[in-house]
Amino acid sequence: MSVEVRNVTKQFGSFTALDHVSLKVESGELVALLGPSGSGKTTLLRIIAGLEFPDLADATVLYYGEDVTRIPASQRKAGFAFQHYALFRHLSVFENIAFGLRVRPRATRPSEEEIRERVNRLLKLIQLDAMAKRFPSQLSGGQRQRVALARALAVEPKVLLLDEPFGALDAKVRKELRRWLRQLHDEIHITTLFVTHDQEEALEVADRVAILRSGKIEQIGTPEEIYDRPVSPFVYDFLGNVNLFSGRMKDGEVVIGDTSFAVTDTERVAETQTVAFVRPHDIHIARTQNGAHSFPAQIVRCHAAGSVATVDLERLDDRVHFTAQLSKEEYQQLQPKTGEQVFVQLRNVRLFTDDYSI
Amino acid sequence: MKNPARFTGQARVLPGFRLTLGFTLLYLSLIVLIPLSAAFISAASLTWGEFWSDVASRQAVASYELSFGASFGAALVNLVFGVIVAWVLVRYRFFGKRVVDALVDLPFALPTAVAGITLATIYGPTGWIGEAVAPLGLKISYTQLGIFVALTFIGLPFIVRTVQPVLEDLDPEIEEAAASLGANRWQTFWRVILPMLAPALLTGFTLAFARALGEYGSVVFISSNIPMKTQITPLLIMTKLEEFDYGGATALAVVMLVVSFLLLLAINLIQWWASRHHRTELA
Repeated sequence: MSVEVRNVTKQFGSFTALDHVSLKVESGELVALLGPSGSGKTTLLRIIAGLEFPDLADATVLYYGEDVTRIPASQRKAGFAFQHYALFRHLSVFENIAFGLRVRPRATRPSEEEIRERVNRLLKLIQLDAMAKRFPSQLSGGQRQRVALARALAVEPKVLLLDEPFGALDAKVRKELRRWLRQLHDEIHITTLFVTHDQEEALEVADRVAILRSGKIEQIGTPEEIYDRPVSPFVYDFLGNVNLFSGRMKDGEVVIGDTSFAVTDTERVAETQTVAFVRPHDIHIARTQNGAHSFPAQIVRCHAAGSVATVDLERLDDRVHFTAQLSKEEYQQLQPKTGEQVFVQLRNVRLFTDDYSI
Repeated sequence: MKNPARFTGQARVLPGFRLTLGFTLLYLSLIVLIPLSAAFISAASLTWGEFWSDVASRQAVASYELSFGASFGAALVNLVFGVIVAWVLVRYRFFGKRVVDALVDLPFALPTAVAGITLATIYGPTGWIGEAVAPLGLKISYTQLGIFVALTFIGLPFIVRTVQPVLEDLDPEIEEAAASLGANRWQTFWRVILPMLAPALLTGFTLAFARALGEYGSVVFISSNIPMKTQITPLLIMTKLEEFDYGGATALAVVMLVVSFLLLLAINLIQWWASRHHRTELA
């Protein structure tokens, strides 16, 4: 029981938006489609909704086993929320939510009383029961997006599709709303796909994250899986800040400058010349050289505003810049100064055979 | 606190309010109000009895019915077909679209007398269309139907040109949202697109209606101008002027003025009401 696409390709002129994409979303799952702009994530969502159709005849879209590939949006029963809400501005909040019920054919249309009851229940769910009579222009952005969600939920969709649902909101409202979305999903367990280009949002909200790149799914997995075990430098880079160190392989370890470091995930056999990937928070700074596994660097800049402190450094041998992140306590203990020379240790060093360059 | 007036609400963001309002009032007075008030002053030279017998004569009442009825009907017909024309021009790409787009404006530019003569010929008993409908027992030119056709002709661009930009600005996502909620094309049009067009439709209707009320040039050619049957009010006024009955002419003019103004005011009020939810009033 799932929502599934198989072998979907879509071209716009000479631009390939989707290239033989297959994806399966389990019933009740919340999946994020994450990728940079132009990666095809919105196109994939629109194809699942029936607002767009795949190019090739062998593509399939399945809702719980039922083939809906050629069925238009109006008959698919997919709830869709748009980035810019697309509310009906001539209708009140109440009527916006009731719309999907009122356009049903007479045989399946609920009675006026049932409609009122259902809309009121949804208004409570989105915490806007006091706003039923307002028009969309009288609501804030976050309120409008909640109305758009309630409107999509009113028709009891088989799947809920959200296109950059928080993209047009400011940072604070975004955070509130995505936490609310997660709670809502835990309450009603509707199969949900949402598109985002914000990795933090995807990692925080979703059960699984699919990372798209140039019309293909690069990796799919739980937030932990993709963060801890990225399959490519693209995924690694997309999920957070990254430092690159050029080095060479020796005895299963990577040698950077004169210092060798252990490599995480050693199954990957890299060529002798290689690039090591290290996250800023996996870089440790010390004043003294503790053992052999550190190399010297100079501090270029420190900034300590925020929950973590950031230190920009420069390698002494090849003058390459990199960034380390320290916790507030580490930073206060160390008290690094600009221009000072320190020793750097690397943890969780990752290598990729892929030729992707950042 | 360089500018304390800002905090008392004296100064406005956009300067020149008094200057522009003053100019607006002066301009309106010179171009509209003073000439129109001349009609009232002229009509005031009549006694009540004379005035009443002029404006309530059977011939005058018949002409009001024709003028307002035909104008209203023509504006209504244009409302329907104007939306279709605007829809086609906005939604589809086809060969010759630019030409069709330009054709819509033709009734604006054509001298109304030319329009009248052309229409009278084509819809006349020996014209292409007149001949074609004659076997059905229909006569167009020189009848009330002819007047209606002429008023429809001159009113079309008003609806098309007011609806077109609004339709162009309509976000396609709105229609996709309706579709994803299960609405078919027809329901999307009736329940979503049309209500959103409503303010523009009302404006277009008002303009077309007002234009038709004042039309004279084309009607005199296509109408047989028979009193009680095919005589519109502007023509009746003209007839009175030719008979040097200036008082009678201005009395009718005053009636036209007052009724037109009231109708336009009423439509404006409806429009204000219809667009109420476009105004943002964050409480």
